[in-house]
Amino acid sequence: MSASSARATLRDSVAVALAGVALGLIANAVSPRGLALRRDYFSAVAPVAAVTPAPTASSGLSAARRARLGAQGIALLSHERAVGFFRDPLFTAGRIVFIDARDEAHYAAGHIPGARPFDHYRLDKYVADILGACAAADRIVVYCNGGECEDSELAAGDLLQFGVPAAKLFVYAGGIAEWREKNLPLETGPRGGGHRVAP
Amino acid sequence: MKPDPSALRRWLPLLARLALGAMFVHLGVVKALDPVGFLKLVRQFDLVTAPLLLNFTAAVLPWVEIFCGGLLLLGVRTGGTALLALVLLMGFTGAVALRAWALSRTGSLPFCALRFDCGCGTGEVAVCAKLLQNAGLIVLAGSLFIPPPPAKPAA
Repeated sequence: MSASSARATLRDSVAVALAGVALGLIANAVSPRGLALRRDYFSAVAPVAAVTPAPTASSGLSAARRARLGAQGIALLSHERAVGFFRDPLFTAGRIVFIDARDEAHYAAGHIPGARPFDHYRLDKYVADILGACAAADRIVVYCNGGECEDSELAAGDLLQFGVPAAKLFVYAGGIAEWREKNLPLETGPRGGGHRVAP
Repeated sequence: MKPDPSALRRWLPLLARLALGAMFVHLGVVKALDPVGFLKLVRQFDLVTAPLLLNFTAAVLPWVEIFCGGLLLLGVRTGGTALLALVLLMGFTGAVALRAWALSRTGSLPFCALRFDCGCGTGEVAVCAKLLQNAGLIVLAGSLFIPPPPAKPAA
């Protein structure tokens, strides 16, 4: 390859990269799935280490995350207490609120009956409904997939930033995985109007 | 009938270009359809920490791959596009190897026993298989720089 041909290849390569970046920026701007480039999506959690910490056996939550939630004053909820809250008449009365912090597709595929969707990455879509429900509630249970899923922690962080008192907030660490594992009822589709799946 | 080596040398670059292009388009589309999922996986590498850069990477990189793959499929600016593909592949491969090495050291696991979702668009994969696949793609991209044989003079 001659020097001039190598230079042309390099020039083409840079041009292709720049055109690809421009295409990406346009696609991100027009797509409903696009990311808000300036937003810090992970401000509520510390930077990850190069290696994901091992979960503790008891809750499926790593010690680091447990400490982080504790520092924010957010309590962890055991499976038994989550079920207790679910069966409490205050849940039906709206004084206890369950919040599903997973994305729309996962929510629709199966959530705790009556739980409200609240995707941390699509705040605008849900925040009005969620803040209204949280204002009327005494206890707010946030969950995601369980295990190392951070979405419940991120959603709880959002609620704190919106002024929801930490004393009301609980993170159900076992999440939907534990809920399913224990054969508890699920609701598919939208909240309330969805199909309820018996255990 | 013996295969004509020069014909093979003419067809191989075309096949390499199409295979590489199709792979780039496929893997780019998988990531572009779920930018949030890709964002979470990019973050796991801990190579980019500034929010703007992290979001930019997750939002734009899949489209660069799709564009690159599309140009390779169409045969437009093949040299420059192949060079970009080569650079991207070497970057991806290095990042996957580094993360796997870190996971292997911390978990005291054999390197090739590791499986994780590298954000490559292939879901959870065995690390060594992924690195081999990437090595194959790097060879394909590199092969696009081999000049075709001179055409036979007409009889």
